[in-house]
Amino acid sequence: MKNEVKLPEQSITFIENLRIYLFSNGKNSEEIEEIIEELEDHLSEAEKRGKPIEKIIGKSPKEYMEMISNEMVIDYRTWFKYVLLIIIGTFSIIIMSDLSEGDLSYSVLEIVGDIVITAIFIFSVLKGFKYISTMKQSLWKQMAILIPIVMLPVFLFLGLIFLNRAVDTPMIHFSNMASMIIGIMTLLFIIGMSLWAKTWILIIVVAFITLPNYLLTQTSLQYETQLILEPIIMCGGIGIYLWISTILEKKKA
Amino acid sequence: MSTTQMLKGILDGCLLAIIKNKEVYGYELADKLETYGFHSFSEGTIYPLLLRMQKEGLVTSTLKKSTAGPRRKYYSLTPKGKQELDIFIKRWDDLQTNVNNVLHHESDTTTKKGDETIEE
Repeated sequence: MKNEVKLPEQSITFIENLRIYLFSNGKNSEEIEEIIEELEDHLSEAEKRGKPIEKIIGKSPKEYMEMISNEMVIDYRTWFKYVLLIIIGTFSIIIMSDLSEGDLSYSVLEIVGDIVITAIFIFSVLKGFKYISTMKQSLWKQMAILIPIVMLPVFLFLGLIFLNRAVDTPMIHFSNMASMIIGIMTLLFIIGMSLWAKTWILIIVVAFITLPNYLLTQTSLQYETQLILEPIIMCGGIGIYLWISTILEKKKA
Repeated sequence: MSTTQMLKGILDGCLLAIIKNKEVYGYELADKLETYGFHSFSEGTIYPLLLRMQKEGLVTSTLKKSTAGPRRKYYSLTPKGKQELDIFIKRWDDLQTNVNNVLHHESDTTTKKGDETIEE
């Protein structure tokens, strides 16, 4: 917080909710930060003079958020960027980890199911965030909404795996050559997406999901040891990356 | 009709008039409006208006570092904004005259049996 005056709890909550509301409405993140900064300044000036938050945003925070949101254009480019990043990210992770185990082969059900689940996930995250940010809710209530949203794709993916075993749909087998080509294309996609979105996250996640498995099979370690080491390296690596990038992000601010 | 509803549209013109004289930031604008007597409106309503006026090219903004505290967004009027202000002043003068005419005239008369009016 750059302001000298510490904002009261109510104002901080409002600012955070506004940020989430505007973000889940697909507004440009730079513009969001600009209006947030302006309102933070206003709220702290008002706080200095003992004005309550209602004097600034009126009686209904939700209505006020809508008023702001209506005046900001939807940033389709950024929105599209995130959706694409999630979809291609999901698929590149699946493809790359399958590739490290051999040639690719998928059933039609798997391919369609993956696309549908990803779409459901993106839709429910945006709806959920928007809903949470406009209501005055306790942390428990927010969790009660968020946890199912996050868990939903996990269950759907699990369901898909079982359904895939039970139901026979045509299989699409890719030859060694085709798998290689898909692998290279995915890799190029990952690099391209990362450059475009200016983030390392996708590369790091894919690397930590696929490489440990591949590298460990090259070692003379026991199979059990490999099985234990793989998730540790995977989660540890991604965790460390997220930790470092949070520190760097804080230093920048 | 609430004051807030009546204020819609009028507030735009007032903001333009204040910005015309001096580069100002958000809180300053709300503060000025208050000293001019606008007490009942929610101060935050100026931001959606400022966002729209920026979109329409009536005002521009620059971020400036203040000596103490955070950087601030200062608003200034564009040539298009000046034109808009002139139009607003003209419209407001007309509207004010008309409303005053109605109110003065009608308060001097009392209504009796529908359309018939008698001068007092």
